[in-house]
Amino acid sequence: MTIIHPLQNTLTSRDGSLVFAIIKNCILGFKYQSINHWEYVGKWTDNFDKTQEVKKDIVKEQQGQNSEIENENKNKKLKSNKGDSIAKTEVKVPSPGIGAPPIYSYIRNLRFTPDESRLIACADSDKSVLIFDVDKTSKDNVLRLTKRFSFPKRPNAISIAEDGATVTVADKFGDVYSIDINSNPEEKFTQEPILGHVSMLTDVHMIKDSDGHQFIISSDRDEHIKISHYPQCFIVDKWLFGHKHFVSSICCDKDYLLLSAGGDDKIFAWNWKTGENLYTFDYSNLIKPYLNDQHLAPPRFQNEDNDIIEFAVSKIVKLENLPFVAFFVEATKCIIVLELSEKLRGNLAFKQIITFPYNVISLSAQKNELQVTLDNKNSSDVQNNFAKFIQYNSNDRKFVVNDEKSNNFDNTIIKSVKGDSNLDTKEEDTYPLYNISSLRKHGEHYS
Amino acid sequence: MKAKPLSQDPGSKRYAYRINKEENRKELKHVKIDESTLVQEGQKIDLPKKRYYRQRAHSNPFSDHQLEYPVSPQDMDWSKLYPYYKNAENGDMIKKVTIADIGCGFGGLMIDLSPAFPDDLILGMEIRVQVTNYVEDRIIALRNNTASRHGFQNINVLRGNAMKFLPNFFGKGQLSKMFFCFPDPHFKQRKHKARIITNTLLSEYAYVLKEGGIVYTITDVKDLHEWMVKHLEEHPLFKRLSKEWEENDKCVEIMRNATEEGKKVERKKGDKFVACFIRLPTPTIL
Repeated sequence: MTIIHPLQNTLTSRDGSLVFAIIKNCILGFKYQSINHWEYVGKWTDNFDKTQEVKKDIVKEQQGQNSEIENENKNKKLKSNKGDSIAKTEVKVPSPGIGAPPIYSYIRNLRFTPDESRLIACADSDKSVLIFDVDKTSKDNVLRLTKRFSFPKRPNAISIAEDGATVTVADKFGDVYSIDINSNPEEKFTQEPILGHVSMLTDVHMIKDSDGHQFIISSDRDEHIKISHYPQCFIVDKWLFGHKHFVSSICCDKDYLLLSAGGDDKIFAWNWKTGENLYTFDYSNLIKPYLNDQHLAPPRFQNEDNDIIEFAVSKIVKLENLPFVAFFVEATKCIIVLELSEKLRGNLAFKQIITFPYNVISLSAQKNELQVTLDNKNSSDVQNNFAKFIQYNSNDRKFVVNDEKSNNFDNTIIKSVKGDSNLDTKEEDTYPLYNISSLRKHGEHYS
Repeated sequence: MKAKPLSQDPGSKRYAYRINKEENRKELKHVKIDESTLVQEGQKIDLPKKRYYRQRAHSNPFSDHQLEYPVSPQDMDWSKLYPYYKNAENGDMIKKVTIADIGCGFGGLMIDLSPAFPDDLILGMEIRVQVTNYVEDRIIALRNNTASRHGFQNINVLRGNAMKFLPNFFGKGQLSKMFFCFPDPHFKQRKHKARIITNTLLSEYAYVLKEGGIVYTITDVKDLHEWMVKHLEEHPLFKRLSKEWEENDKCVEIMRNATEEGKKVERKKGDKFVACFIRLPTPTIL
């Protein structure tokens, strides 16, 4: 059965009027008019032809190899024993064999500039950072691609400085680059990284303290959260030590509160200015009822009783206007909300678990609203439950799903993109939606 | 069927040797050796034989090894490595590690540094398991055989990946000297990130080094030498020291002659390129 591919992520503007959603290599724009009126206001598809890029690389490499061969030949004899000249060795062009893993072209890391006049995203196809102009008044296409900065390794996380121009890009190989989005992208990438880890980077944030000093906070797969100065990135301020497994997500604010989570069964609260670990919140008992077969350790790390479970927080967010933090564990049907009872001391207390019909695949927050997208590939005949909008009800002090808003959003998606072959998928052909738990280290290399 | 490597074949001499040494390590690694703990007065332990510790020459710094490292520098129990410097009353360490030999190999540098810097604790870090075992066995034997004068109590070795976990061991400004002796050259362009000196890693070395601390580098590969000099000179927190300085420094002398690699290069009459750098004061934060 063909279905619309689940939404991989969403981003909402500060006033809630504009929602961007990612499906595969597409960004879709929706305008929120009223609780029962959404409008489809544009789509951008990454049509970058990767094969051209690959060809260019191969030709370049071949030229390099050929010149090496020529050099060698100069030193050796140019003719064979029989006297005829030796033909140049052809360099093979590699092609993926049968059974090679499929290549997915994700769009990742949607971010607005502070004034929301531009949207920034990352494309896997050419490992680039994309800059869009956002025209909120446009009826048919709010997005216009203006620049494309391509990087040597895949950007994994991005962050935008307050100035709205400096973007820091953290890549899979451990390096952090800084670009000015007002500059023009170079044809060939020549920049040096401004800082780096010898590990896969998972998140990055740029933030200012009350004295106006800027910092870059970066987290990695080797349990590290590193705080460096900016623009003097060569000065490391400190590390935040405490995680025993990979860090997957961090969020921080100007009041020096930083929250981090990942492969540990705890949420960490820090004062990023002093480096103090303010609080740790153990969520292992809370999550237990929601764990399933997907949380069994991979077969080669499993024990004989088949009872090693591994789970990890995929994303942690903080609401801007309310003292609440929300996070979700990969491949579970719920999000957990914690209350920041005494913010400066980082005390976290359990508030609420919100459950959904399907696994959560993304979580984002805007002012006083949480947004989740769901892995709805197994939904019934009429596909629903793409996304949920969750609001805080100050009367009974609980978070509740705004069903009307969410249902109308689902309907708008179906109405807008049903039949779009690009966004359709077979149930079994969806993009991999669960990538976090694979970051866990098992120390398999011995020597 | 593929034959088992000698090291895993219970009948082999190497297997027996390794098992024996492992038991020895378990027993003696963390023990404060002095005359009273010697089983028999005057009993010497033979120095380990390198041929029983063979393994591949390289280890991938990016892969997930089974490593032990503390969550933070505060969590590190140094008294296990330097039992002689543990305050018996409160259990605290009397001294902190101030000299690090990154990629210490077979430990020759540390063994010569030990008497030259009796007031410093010196730590070697090595990523290869068998090489680390060799150095441990060598230190156990040396400590044992010089027990009457408490020799070699200020050196020890850790198996670790310094490129990833150096800040887990050392605090800000803790070190006064760091040695990078004959590091893996990683000739290929695309493997340059695996080199131990890169501009991004230098910021981390600058963090653990105190102001005025020294980075020592030596290699027999000219290309790598130039690479290391280039990156250290470009880094705002390091400045190269002069040839005169090098000639008057006792560590340079030891580094040229004490390391196993240095001796090998000497035998083969190869070049040795030395460069030393001082950690500059941290500038005003903008």
